Amino acid sequence: MNAIEVKNLQRVYRAHIGVIKRSIKEVMAVEDISFDIKAGELFGLLGPNGAGKTTTVKMLATLLIPTKGTITIMGFDVVKDAQEVRKRIGFIFGGERGLYWRLSGIDNLRYFASLYGVEPDVSKKRIPFLLEMVGLKDRGNERVEGYSRGMKQRLHVARTLLHDPEILFLDEPTIGLDPVGAREFRQVIRDLQSENKTILLTTHYMFEADSLCQRVAVIDKGIIVAMDSPSELKKHVADLSVIEIETFGTSQEVVEQLRALPFVDALSVQEQDQRQMLLIQTARGAEAVPDLISSLNGQRVGRVIVREPTLEDAYVRLVGGRV
Amino acid sequence: MRYKNLFVYWRTVLTVAEITFRHQMNDSFIIFAILIQPIIIATLAMFMLRDTAANAAMFVVVGSGLTGLWSGLLFISGNSINAERWQGTLESLVGAPTPFDVIVFGKNLANVVQSLLSMIVAYLLAALFFNYTLHIDQPLLFFISILFSVFAFISFGLTIAPLFVMYREVQQWQNALEYPMYILAGFLFPILLLPGWTTPLSYSLPPYWAAVALHGTSTANAPLQQTLFAWGMLLVFSIIDLVIAKRLFKIMLYKARVDATLDVQ
Repeated sequence: MNAIEVKNLQRVYRAHIGVIKRSIKEVMAVEDISFDIKAGELFGLLGPNGAGKTTTVKMLATLLIPTKGTITIMGFDVVKDAQEVRKRIGFIFGGERGLYWRLSGIDNLRYFASLYGVEPDVSKKRIPFLLEMVGLKDRGNERVEGYSRGMKQRLHVARTLLHDPEILFLDEPTIGLDPVGAREFRQVIRDLQSENKTILLTTHYMFEADSLCQRVAVIDKGIIVAMDSPSELKKHVADLSVIEIETFGTSQEVVEQLRALPFVDALSVQEQDQRQMLLIQTARGAEAVPDLISSLNGQRVGRVIVREPTLEDAYVRLVGGRV
Repeated sequence: MRYKNLFVYWRTVLTVAEITFRHQMNDSFIIFAILIQPIIIATLAMFMLRDTAANAAMFVVVGSGLTGLWSGLLFISGNSINAERWQGTLESLVGAPTPFDVIVFGKNLANVVQSLLSMIVAYLLAALFFNYTLHIDQPLLFFISILFSVFAFISFGLTIAPLFVMYREVQQWQNALEYPMYILAGFLFPILLLPGWTTPLSYSLPPYWAAVALHGTSTANAPLQQTLFAWGMLLVFSIIDLVIAKRLFKIMLYKARVDATLDVQ
């Protein structure tokens, strides 16, 4: 049974620009996407910034009205039956906002429990249980303004679970968390999945999607460019190797020259202070290294590694190496 | 089912009001609007009325309470939706199954009750610092008048909040609307002192009828008929405001979901 059905979804943003001569600028955030999520499935939505992930999640969470297309959640339409949908879903948007900072963690949860119609005698038991689950048992009486970013994120999780929703939308929930906090958070997601919750997760972290999601859709420029299990997606790059070249002060011009080489399938750059890590996908494997080094025109080169491709490499190839 | 919903909504209103009250008591602007400003107004008025009858002081107490109610309504209830938007909580509220107008009703209840504190502060100021012996002419009718006034102010606040969200040009008049209401609604002196052409304007304002009921029962020993008429007007205005507010909330929420303005981009 499908918990979520999305058909030909489109969303256009209209912004008024100009002061004297006013005009309307249209931005296509989601062009045409369709997918289904089965009950109990953990489904990932991946894509670069501006691909349309958050817009999609906001439409699913009834916070934005689609320009075209339909979304049904547990059989209810998100536009016509928004109240019914809201009883069955919970959502988290990454970041620290969305909580009352001058209230304690417990008061925040009491407030939202009331808005979700949780009976007072139920919330009296559920709030301590959730605070313990997210590791805030001893800090519940403190004002949220004193919480770290990770604690606020965990309080968001507790808030989302107050009414025990069947479906969860987690939009980049680990963004900005330290590695330990992010790992703990991923464990919370695993625990939720073991309770048979249907979860839609958007993330920038490929290893997160690889380790958590049963299926993944890669979205780029408002359309889905691939949708499959992480292991199947990795097969898109099974015939390739990845060469990582550490360089110093490489210009955009040189990067474009490398990208234009006939044996380079995709190239992405990770900036680290003065260093750049060039991630090059090629079918030639280690044999391509001398040609790549010579194409760097005497640029200072550090480590060079040749390795097997990961889900991240499959993702880079799917979005055209624009990362 | 409908009655069960009403019970659940009422319980939600009370919880929202209680938590909003505690949240706002930590905000220095709100403390200024509902406590400090009415103290300043009451102090000025009491110095001016120092040699007049004792019940003039009670008039000032009620009047400064009304100024606190109006300022609270204009700046706190009026801004309640925009404030949620700026702190990033509006999406969480709209995304909850409780109708959004029920949530804002609870927030406005907290604001209005909070604003009534200004009346207590003015009372203590008159009694302790100006040594007035204060008494309320018709205590029971005064208490009932407070209830009608609270309901009318909450309902009026419900129409203002979505208007401020949808029409920024209306919100730009927010500051300019504060003092004219003090004058037109007869908070601190009777409207009989104003030019005749302003009277119909006063009659069209719910705060004027709150002032008639509260001043009439506290200091003027008003005939019951006059008080009943003021209550009737407050009730009529409250119902009209609630009907308008329901429609405005529906339009505002749909527009916000189309225009993507529930969050600050």
